[in-house]
Amino acid sequence: MREASPDERRQFYSEEWNKRELPDFILHTLSLREFGFDLDGTGPSHRYNQFMTVEQLAEYLQNRTPYSTFTSVALYEQPSMRKGWMKSELAFDIDAKDLPLKSCNCASGSVCELCIDEARRIAMEFAETMSKDLGLHNINFVYSGRGFHIRVIDDAIMTLEQTERAQIVEYITGSVIPTDIAMALGYSQVFRERLARTFEGMDEQRLSKVRGFRRSVIQKLMAEKERALGAIRRGKLDELSEFEGIGPKTFRQLLEFLVRLNSEFTDGKVTIDTKRILRLPSSLHSGVSMKCMLVRDIGRFKLEDAVPKFVHERGH
Amino acid sequence: MIAPEYVATLDPFVAEAKRLVETSPPLDSMPQEIVDRAIARVKWASREMVVEPNAEAIRADVLSFYLMCQGVAAVSYPYSREARLISEATKETIKYRMYDLFKRGHEESCLDVVKRSLKLVQLEGGDGAKLGGIEIPREDFYKIRDRRLAQDGIETIDDRLLPQYLPRYAVRWTDLAPLLRHRRAELTRLYLVNGRAVITPRDLWDLFSNFIAVRTEEYVASVYERFSDVGAPSKRLAEVGERISSLLPPELGLPERFARVPMGKLRLEFFPPCVKIAMGGVGPGLRNYAITVLLTSFLSYARASPSGRAATRIGDFITDISVVRDEIAAPIFEAAERCKPPFFKDQPQEKGNIYYHLGFGMTTEPRLEDSGISKWYRVPNCSKIQMSAPPLCDPDELCRKIKNPLTYYFRKLSEQAMSGVGG
Repeated sequence: MREASPDERRQFYSEEWNKRELPDFILHTLSLREFGFDLDGTGPSHRYNQFMTVEQLAEYLQNRTPYSTFTSVALYEQPSMRKGWMKSELAFDIDAKDLPLKSCNCASGSVCELCIDEARRIAMEFAETMSKDLGLHNINFVYSGRGFHIRVIDDAIMTLEQTERAQIVEYITGSVIPTDIAMALGYSQVFRERLARTFEGMDEQRLSKVRGFRRSVIQKLMAEKERALGAIRRGKLDELSEFEGIGPKTFRQLLEFLVRLNSEFTDGKVTIDTKRILRLPSSLHSGVSMKCMLVRDIGRFKLEDAVPKFVHERGH
Repeated sequence: MIAPEYVATLDPFVAEAKRLVETSPPLDSMPQEIVDRAIARVKWASREMVVEPNAEAIRADVLSFYLMCQGVAAVSYPYSREARLISEATKETIKYRMYDLFKRGHEESCLDVVKRSLKLVQLEGGDGAKLGGIEIPREDFYKIRDRRLAQDGIETIDDRLLPQYLPRYAVRWTDLAPLLRHRRAELTRLYLVNGRAVITPRDLWDLFSNFIAVRTEEYVASVYERFSDVGAPSKRLAEVGERISSLLPPELGLPERFARVPMGKLRLEFFPPCVKIAMGGVGPGLRNYAITVLLTSFLSYARASPSGRAATRIGDFITDISVVRDEIAAPIFEAAERCKPPFFKDQPQEKGNIYYHLGFGMTTEPRLEDSGISKWYRVPNCSKIQMSAPPLCDPDELCRKIKNPLTYYFRKLSEQAMSGVGG
């Protein structure tokens, strides 16, 4: 995952980039979106761009060979001035490098196949809740280069404002403790699943960060992790407080710790920000030499599909 | 059988209600009994809320509702305590009326009104436990009931009341967006299946009455904006507003919903884009409008949050002149200094003009007792700003829903207060 050189960027945009790889949901609204570019790797400082046709965009990409290319989740009447906001996709950013729990040994800020796959599974979980509970159907996955974006374009949610979007983040991530944890469906179920997933990823070192947790209690919890997980999955959280050494206060602190971790599996600011720009599917993520691409079947996503040709040629 | 116009008593924003208002004399010339009813609405209890199903009673109800709203808009500002008082009173009224209609066997009439605003379906199956082919587990079904009973503080219930607590409908959650936005509903507290929230009749009354309460607050905001356009409201409206304002409970021990939202230090983070641009300093050609017209009126009305009487003198709402000097004029002068060229460098007389626009006459040394010497200019509406100073207008999504920069500010403050996040 080495940085792409200017020559490699040129090669990518002249030989490999294809307008057919732009998702329909962007292609059909191209002229209503703001485009942003990072031309030299210093950040997306070239904002307020509008393209009336895909050919204009292609020409820009081929001539300027940007380091990174972004497009707004918002549609505007005047994208080049960011004026006349019409509506915005509901977007989630699940970045493998920022996952609060990872089973790999990646250095901070790095990613590997393992944590990218973990990000993929989180994206699938989120999308399932959006579909099953929120009744959303037009859910698109994009491999961003270091993780996944979920971009929802159901009309019913595109005009929602920040407060409602913040509530969606809470629901999808399971970052609010429900009043009844044992209901079979609805948020109660979502919460149990998220809590179990997070608890499953805990080890002694991470548990030691919970305030008030004694070492002996941590060891006991880890030794009986399956029993604890079973209790969470059944919604019998009170069984956790029956573990020796876990009083009501410590139990509450554990719960709050896990809930906070739940909220960190996605960057909530991205979802709430209706004017955010996200990496353009089909473009090159030069920092890691990977293609940002629409993923049609998230269950079968393979990292190789996102490797540009020039990376294969590097060895020759 | 319920008269078709009766829908206006459940939803005063339906076309039938608007027609009633349009075919009546102006609100500020209403007879005394309508005026009294507009004020009494705030204090109504149970049966007082019910309207007789005859044309005259329905008309009186609708007119008094609009008079109440316009009166409040005349003496306060969007999302003020007064606005909250009447929106809460309206919520209780609508809820009671729905309860009453259900009790008298008019559920269908009630649902017809609700369906105009919310996409509502009945749960399927003889025992009402299926939604779009998805079975709602029995345990969940009864938990929804028990949760609602607990919410109402009911431990034992008789057969007559029980049906109100059993899940019977499902409503599309996206239709509840206005309630989520104002934190009158929480997504994680809804029982969501396939895009719909499963609810009991009790929940329905709550949701729908809250829905009307939100629309009431929005209506007050829109009337306030209209007054900004056409000038001061009539004396009659101001009198109604003052009488309603006098019914506000004292600030101490206020229920959360009536708590004063905006009074206090200015919160820059909630300023609308146009004000933020003006605060950053602007170039020649824009300076006069940005500083003297927009910032001066915006900061003064936002800080003083005038309520309880028609806003004609800032001195009626502020007791210490240092508020004017330090919290209103100082940031205006700083913004003027940031202009290119600095505003007062080539136009020093404009400093006095700032105080003139605040109502202190042409001076640079304002005194509280001089308040009212000149006019206290209201905040221009967005359309005027767009016309007079287009570069100041860089609307975001909230701007699309308001017509005056002050509404933007008070709405943001209100949302923040409802979210329970401290400042």
